[in-house]
Amino acid sequence: MSDLELEPVIGIDLGTTNSVVATVLDGVPRVIQNRSGQLLTPSIVAVAKNGRRLVGQIAKRQAVTNPDNTVFAAKRLIGRRWGSREVEDARKILPYDLVAGPEGNDVRIRMGDRVWPVPEISGLILSELKTDAEAFFGRQVTRAVVTVPAYFNDGQRQATKDAGRIAGLDVTRIINEPTSAALAYGFGKSVEKKVVVFDLGGGTFDVSILDIGKSVYDVVGVGGDTYLGGEDFDRRVMDWLTFSFAKEKGGVDLRRDKMALQRLKDASEKAKCDLSGAAVAGIHLPFLIGGGEGRPALHLEKQIQREKLEELTKDLVDRCIQVVDRTLRDVGVRPSQIDDVILVGGMTRMPSVQKAVRDFFGREPSRGVHPEEVVALGAAIQAHALTHRQGSTEVLLLDVTPQNLGILVVGGYFQTIIPRNTTVPTSQMHVFTTSQDNQTSVRIAVLQGASDKAIENELLGEFVLAGIRPTLRGEVGIEVNFDISADGIVSVSARDMVTGQCQSITVTATSGLTEDELKRIMDENVDELLARKQIVSDFERRREATERIIGEIEALMPVVTAALARSRFGKDAVNKAQAMVQRAQAAIRAQDGDQLVTLGEQLDRTLQLFKGLSGGAPEERGP
Amino acid sequence: MGPLGSVSGDRYNNFVFVPADLAEEVDLPLELKKEILYLYGRLDELDHWQLLGLRWNAPPEAARAAYLEKVKIFHPDRHAGRRLGSYLGRIEKIFRALTEARDVLTQDTQRAAYARKTAPPEEFARMEARRLDDEVRSQERRDRLARANPLVARAARVRDLVSRGKQSMADGKLTQAANDFLTALGLDPRHPEARALAEQAKKRSAGERARELYDRALAAEAMGSRAAALTAFREAAETDQANPRYAAAASRMTLEAGELEDARALAEQAVRAGPRDARAFEALGAVLQAQGLSREARRAIERALDLDPSLESARGLLKKLRWSFLG
Repeated sequence: MSDLELEPVIGIDLGTTNSVVATVLDGVPRVIQNRSGQLLTPSIVAVAKNGRRLVGQIAKRQAVTNPDNTVFAAKRLIGRRWGSREVEDARKILPYDLVAGPEGNDVRIRMGDRVWPVPEISGLILSELKTDAEAFFGRQVTRAVVTVPAYFNDGQRQATKDAGRIAGLDVTRIINEPTSAALAYGFGKSVEKKVVVFDLGGGTFDVSILDIGKSVYDVVGVGGDTYLGGEDFDRRVMDWLTFSFAKEKGGVDLRRDKMALQRLKDASEKAKCDLSGAAVAGIHLPFLIGGGEGRPALHLEKQIQREKLEELTKDLVDRCIQVVDRTLRDVGVRPSQIDDVILVGGMTRMPSVQKAVRDFFGREPSRGVHPEEVVALGAAIQAHALTHRQGSTEVLLLDVTPQNLGILVVGGYFQTIIPRNTTVPTSQMHVFTTSQDNQTSVRIAVLQGASDKAIENELLGEFVLAGIRPTLRGEVGIEVNFDISADGIVSVSARDMVTGQCQSITVTATSGLTEDELKRIMDENVDELLARKQIVSDFERRREATERIIGEIEALMPVVTAALARSRFGKDAVNKAQAMVQRAQAAIRAQDGDQLVTLGEQLDRTLQLFKGLSGGAPEERGP
Repeated sequence: MGPLGSVSGDRYNNFVFVPADLAEEVDLPLELKKEILYLYGRLDELDHWQLLGLRWNAPPEAARAAYLEKVKIFHPDRHAGRRLGSYLGRIEKIFRALTEARDVLTQDTQRAAYARKTAPPEEFARMEARRLDDEVRSQERRDRLARANPLVARAARVRDLVSRGKQSMADGKLTQAANDFLTALGLDPRHPEARALAEQAKKRSAGERARELYDRALAAEAMGSRAAALTAFREAAETDQANPRYAAAASRMTLEAGELEDARALAEQAVRAGPRDARAFEALGAVLQAQGLSREARRAIERALDLDPSLESARGLLKKLRWSFLG
């Protein structure tokens, strides 16, 4: 069968800040551009004031004017428990509202007029990428490989799979981001090497050690920190700016203004990126915050040196190296035994990160691959390998489980049943007995983590083995089989050794979505999904994008005009803005899509400037 | 080599294939179906090396390489897009078994334990022999080290002397034992065991020697060689001063030889060693009488008779004393 007859398959890198979709076409892995012509789609979802759902670049552009209803970095929350340290930290810094799920154990996000489960937010991003891929192929796409950080636990993986289902995707496999990067690195070459993948992304840090040989990618060890990434670097810059602003402007606290905070966040991220190429970066945020009581608005004018950034983030870089060191020790590999170090994730462009890696390994890290695209490319290669007959892409991934899987035992301790770095799929049998006479049930808590103390590990689920024959203690043997699939997802089944009676147990409840809830969400999305499936040709793809931009501009137009009318701003800027409005109107009449893409961004920037002048958020009118 | 490695023709000789399994319609070549059924059917019998197609105790690198070759065939992912039917479950089970085999055989301690457990009989014998060889060799190595290092050498010599001394003591060769212990103590003056043992051996060996001398003396006396008897008695009394009998006997012979002073000293030694020994007082009485100290002599004899009224020689002596007193 040739590729043409098969339904196309895609690989998706669902990132914290950006997502990428890729495929293998004629044996060559390549990134699919989104409908705006970009390779990277921001992992941002919003509900506009008129109730429309926005995903990607368009959601990012309106984030400043709509911070309460714009969700970014949802990946940091997916599969997390309400009340966990990570969620508590996130609540303090995220501009949008988090609430507990109905069962009280998962996290939900308030956006627009309703509360969203996190997988549904991620589902919107996946759905957007799916639509991009369908526009690219001109036909339906239903199967995908989705990547997650290697250090994701079972709950986070399950929730990611749920996100795929919500988006109408059959997630063929969940694979680890560093492994995926290694796959892209080794693809088409005949390498026989021991490599380390150093993956510092927007929100997570992963390190993997692999033996690559004869097209088999054998992961020997993984380590990481699911709460360490580029966002933390941005935050350091933000905090520094906030603090010095307060000092210079007599105690004005930017944190009380969500809109100012959003602009500050964007500017911090941009400055951080600029400093990878330049020694100094300027941060100019005019009219950042109202002066209060009729005083003029305050501007932020600041320069940041590369040394300053490195000083602010030194401990974060050190933490990365500590994780690398621990991971290597764990599998008994010395830095000198590593043949190549692959840098993945946008954060690895930062010179101080590269230097730390170079110093630790004593070698120049490999920069032959594009750090933002490589994960999606690997996912596409794996997707292709999993759906096509052997021969066209001869790759085989042997991945491992990142954390110990075990159970709670007497005294609150954690007993490991499947140790970390065990090749998956894998299963392990464990025999439980009763501890009291005539005991008829046994409660088993399944956990994942690195600590000896149960409470410090992630609880995957609890189940009760009921219906045990009442007899003397220790006389009943119950075989419990712990299984980890190739996706890294845990399942448990139990069998009474004497009666042979079986019980299958669902372990996970962390994703927070019941099967019913999942079905309901999928039904709700059907209309929208059906609409998107209509998009088949290149022409229609452009028209759809254009119409969307026109709608956006029309919504903005009256606000801009109004802002201009009562402006005291420089004549030059007013004229420029007016010209831009006219050009945009002309482009609408001429239906010039390309022109509108450019103008849309320019208008958005103009709007932000004017908003500072008018001193408040513009009222958005319905279409 | 085919995709299944070196599959010899008689590999499946004793294996019975279920025709229904072979007939199942799946997208797998017959050769591979057979191999899957065979491995799955024999999973419990094959050891880790056999499963990987290796000889027993093949090195870790070979296990790793074999694993990578095998998983290309038996990893479920390699059969994506194929109809597998009931074979999928079998393939998954084989894959897990292969992984376990790899995990055990590439990890040094686990591998060594597993090798001992699964060794064929002749290999087991050879391994045991090698282990014993190793023990002998390590003893030799220790000895060589002992010769090379003066400190270690001295400690080893002390250890040897003490153990030889103990053996001698157990065999009753007390003098030899005492000598060894004393030598050991000379090499290591703070060796507590050697010190105690030397003391013990010295005492026991002195008693032994004295008894020997005493027996020899009695024999000499019985055979009429008085001079020899005298020397032996006196030597015995000298060697074991704690036994009153030796001193008393020596005193008696010395008195007969006419050496009164020496006889008196020996008699007094006997009385000191045995304040309740009749013969010691009898000897003292005899010396005192010979020295003309009749009153003291009588008191001593009377004491001897108090302690042992059956002492005929003492009674005779007493009579004699009465005579001299009267005369």
